Amino acid sequence: MNNLNLVRGLFLMAIALIFGLTSLKYKLGEFSRAGPGMFPLVVSCLLFLIGLATVVRSRFVKPVPLNYNMRNIALVLIGLCGFAVLSAHLNMIAGIVFLVFCSSFAGASYSVVRNLKISAVLIGIALVFQRFLGLNLPLF
Amino acid sequence: MDILTNLAFGFEHALTLQNLMYCAIGCTVGTLVGLLPGLGPLSTISLLLPLTYSIPTAGSLIMLAGIYYGAQYGDSVSAITMRIPHASSIVACIDGYQMTLKGRTGLALFTAGVSSFIGGTVAIVVLATLAPLLGEVAFLFGPADYCALIFLGFVCVSFVTTGSLLNGLAMTLVGVVLGLVGTDVNSGVARFTMDLSFLAEGIGLVSIALGCFGIAEVVKNLDSGEERTPFNGKIKLMPTWPEFKRIIPSALRGSVIGSFLGILPGGGPVIAQFAAYAVDKRFSKYKHEMGDGAIEGVAGQAAADEAAARTSFIPLMSIGIPENAVMALMMAAFIVKGIQPGPTMIADHPDLFWGLVASMWVGNCFLLVLNVPLVRYWLSVFKIPFSVLFPSILFFCCIGTYSINNNLNDIFITALFGFMGYLFMRLGLEAPPLMLGFILGPMLEEYFRRQLLISRGDFSSFLTRPISGTLFAVIAIIIGWQVVAFFLPSRKRKAALLQAEQ
Repeated sequence: MNNLNLVRGLFLMAIALIFGLTSLKYKLGEFSRAGPGMFPLVVSCLLFLIGLATVVRSRFVKPVPLNYNMRNIALVLIGLCGFAVLSAHLNMIAGIVFLVFCSSFAGASYSVVRNLKISAVLIGIALVFQRFLGLNLPLF
Repeated sequence: MDILTNLAFGFEHALTLQNLMYCAIGCTVGTLVGLLPGLGPLSTISLLLPLTYSIPTAGSLIMLAGIYYGAQYGDSVSAITMRIPHASSIVACIDGYQMTLKGRTGLALFTAGVSSFIGGTVAIVVLATLAPLLGEVAFLFGPADYCALIFLGFVCVSFVTTGSLLNGLAMTLVGVVLGLVGTDVNSGVARFTMDLSFLAEGIGLVSIALGCFGIAEVVKNLDSGEERTPFNGKIKLMPTWPEFKRIIPSALRGSVIGSFLGILPGGGPVIAQFAAYAVDKRFSKYKHEMGDGAIEGVAGQAAADEAAARTSFIPLMSIGIPENAVMALMMAAFIVKGIQPGPTMIADHPDLFWGLVASMWVGNCFLLVLNVPLVRYWLSVFKIPFSVLFPSILFFCCIGTYSINNNLNDIFITALFGFMGYLFMRLGLEAPPLMLGFILGPMLEEYFRRQLLISRGDFSSFLTRPISGTLFAVIAIIIGWQVVAFFLPSRKRKAALLQAEQ
């Protein structure tokens, strides 16, 4: 399974299946009077074919190893979701601080002082957006 | 003479104090974005899209356009000084960086700036003459022709941006199905919404763009984990007269090539640069110097880059079909402002069209000032370490998503698409075709269904109309050529293996 080309093909086929099978639930109609399900079905079939072609192709070309590193993407996503949750329940300033402190674990180096500075500047920018551009930010 | 009157009319609109200001903001932000890693024109335009809701139509379009072509200007600076391309300036890394190694950074930057100016100017003349003409042609287009044109755009973009037709087409189709999420306009049926009410209006454009471009790009930079070493050398900008004379012919060649390639579907800055470089290598008087720091190697590609960035507005504004991902976002901006780009736009909103064209030249002058005399100040932007930059980029992504609907839940969707974008990236699938598919998907469905309605379900009608027939033939040739190109070398390899065995 550690072949990039193969996984890519299977991934595309999975997306095509999800959308294709769901589109069968909607009315298909005829070609002359297409229903809401027709076009998604056609596109999903095309996508499935492309996925299939990718899988077939992966048998002929040299395997490329699939490498991934979940740490950085996970930290960034936790930062974003935390920002949204904190902004909703507490306020956006807490959200900004959390976003900066959480996501910068993914950086090359970590420094509390630098994070505080970044947070301060971003809070300042948010204040400017709120006061002068009229954005409705729940800062407090 | 018509053009001159029209352009004069355009300048009347572009030179108001307000529009000048928007143009300047656009160019400055664009240059900054072109210099910074982790933010391309695509994510910046989608970030600023919500902010333009409160700006007058002309001003917001002028600003967004400025960001796009400004980013093309700024892009070559990092390529020349540090050999780091990020949006599109891969070619500038070749000769531009060689010039830096020889201590001629200033000359390279001057050449890039001036050639971009020449390229932009030529492209605006092309834009002003061709767009109205092409608009007349667009009136002949029927639904089948639009379908064919959209497909041709998909095929060309896939091929140009990813180099692999299969991967690119897959991404456009994923974009198309994502674009189908929401209420079907014809029947009112909610499709793929999983009974979630906020999906009834479809997935937010900004969420997809920021997720797939902004967040995925940030994580990509984090994963590679390299800190850049900023450029600290001295810069002497002014060239000598013989050096200056070498810029002109090459820049003009590049402008013509770029203007032409920018109009074609799937065209745009990247392919134009390569073409201009190849032509210079073949026909330039100094072709023996190409590859190790020739002025021509920088001038031609910079001019082509800038020219193509501007002429790629032609298909959008005259036919109404964007030809690459950035233009697709521009189209979204037009539509947000209640303007349908297309053949009727020039007639219905002449002030917008000619104002935008004229503002491009005004922007050209701004950029020349920003990029030639002031370039040394911009270089200090490189000194900001990425560890400071990326939390700020994430913050702007959050604010950008939130401020569209003042809804914090949208941030979760952006995060989801950030993850999707990361998956796509790791699987070797490029995101720009997805954006094009997402925006053109609903249009494609509409034209597809309309054509089948007209022809009573007969598919041959797509091939018998002259325009769509020709376009589909071109698509068939491109795909056929790809298939042949895939099988030919493998057969050769087999033959070689057989020979080796014997």
